[in-house]
Amino acid sequence: MCWVCDEYGDGTRWFLNPQNYARFMYTVKRPGEVPKEYGSDPEAQSGRILGEIMTAKMQDPEKWAELVKKANQRDMAFPKGPIQLAQTVTLDEAKQLCDLTYPVAGMFCLCRYHMRAQEETNEHEYSCAGLGVGMLKWERWPERYKGGVHFMDADEAKEWLTKWDKAGFMHLLMTFGASPSGGPYVGGLCNCSYPDCGAIRGRLDYGLELNALKGHYVAKVDYDLCNGCGICVQRCQFGALKFEVVKDRPNIDQFRCFGCGLCHSGCPQNAITLVERESLPALKEAW
Amino acid sequence: MIKIEIDASKCTTPFACKKCLQLCPQAVFLVVAVKVEKFKETDPKEPGSYFLLARYMDKCTGCEDCVKVCPEKAIKLTVEEGSNG
Repeated sequence: MCWVCDEYGDGTRWFLNPQNYARFMYTVKRPGEVPKEYGSDPEAQSGRILGEIMTAKMQDPEKWAELVKKANQRDMAFPKGPIQLAQTVTLDEAKQLCDLTYPVAGMFCLCRYHMRAQEETNEHEYSCAGLGVGMLKWERWPERYKGGVHFMDADEAKEWLTKWDKAGFMHLLMTFGASPSGGPYVGGLCNCSYPDCGAIRGRLDYGLELNALKGHYVAKVDYDLCNGCGICVQRCQFGALKFEVVKDRPNIDQFRCFGCGLCHSGCPQNAITLVERESLPALKEAW
Repeated sequence: MIKIEIDASKCTTPFACKKCLQLCPQAVFLVVAVKVEKFKETDPKEPGSYFLLARYMDKCTGCEDCVKVCPEKAIKLTVEEGSNG
């Protein structure tokens, strides 16, 4: 089993465990008291650590390797450590968790806003979502939720996810601090792409793993069903898919595959299957 | 080693302008609000409300597309010996 599920799944996948969607709506603070876990800003903390890693990569490769090794230890992830934990999920998994949380609040993507100055100003453009009761107080931070949010019920959220999946975005499940049960609080569901996703970029370019863990599956091509159309090649955000010219078929490097399922959902021939990561001895510990 | 210097006195509204941010083939830049305040949305057109940062410098190839596209001539790129990583 995936180590996050092992620790926080309570017998199921961690993101299908309802405990990880519970959160205190408000915390009462005494005057002058510094907020603890729930008041800290996971994005800012992770951003600082990534910043250090990036600087080291440019200035001191040995220090870079050391920092990455330290940052990739499992107990560095929320809620035990300071790094924001996120995992790749397939469209089906993302749809399942829409039934466990409310509301799903469509909002602009913070990464694309930072990296490309991309503006998403209405419900048709919002490509990211905040999850759970915390989103009901979004109006306190209008700059963080620029342009507002759009509350969706489970059915609308599933349609919304399908739309972004069709467009070629993979799904990343984000955590923000701790839930009252002590597990990671599942607070965000993003539709992501390279290079404008900070988490994917942090992992692929700088080696920070916890920000974007691989998912529970690995993609595999059925060469008999595949007609070599190449649509899947355009959809891979991880550089795992190439077109194998001699074979006239796509080739998936399963060591690079994150198991997001974009190639699978985009294949007109249903020629790409998702196999359980844990069924493959060399990949079962590669999260 | 490639260095990008941004003159903030010339580049005053990077979020509204966004030319270099959208053009850069390596997505090197980052735009950040100077101050995030409670109950307040920052206005992209207000000079000085956002600043531009060349963050992912190890990805920069030195193509100078950003220098050419900048309407304010605020970006300076210099190439020195050594690598960016």
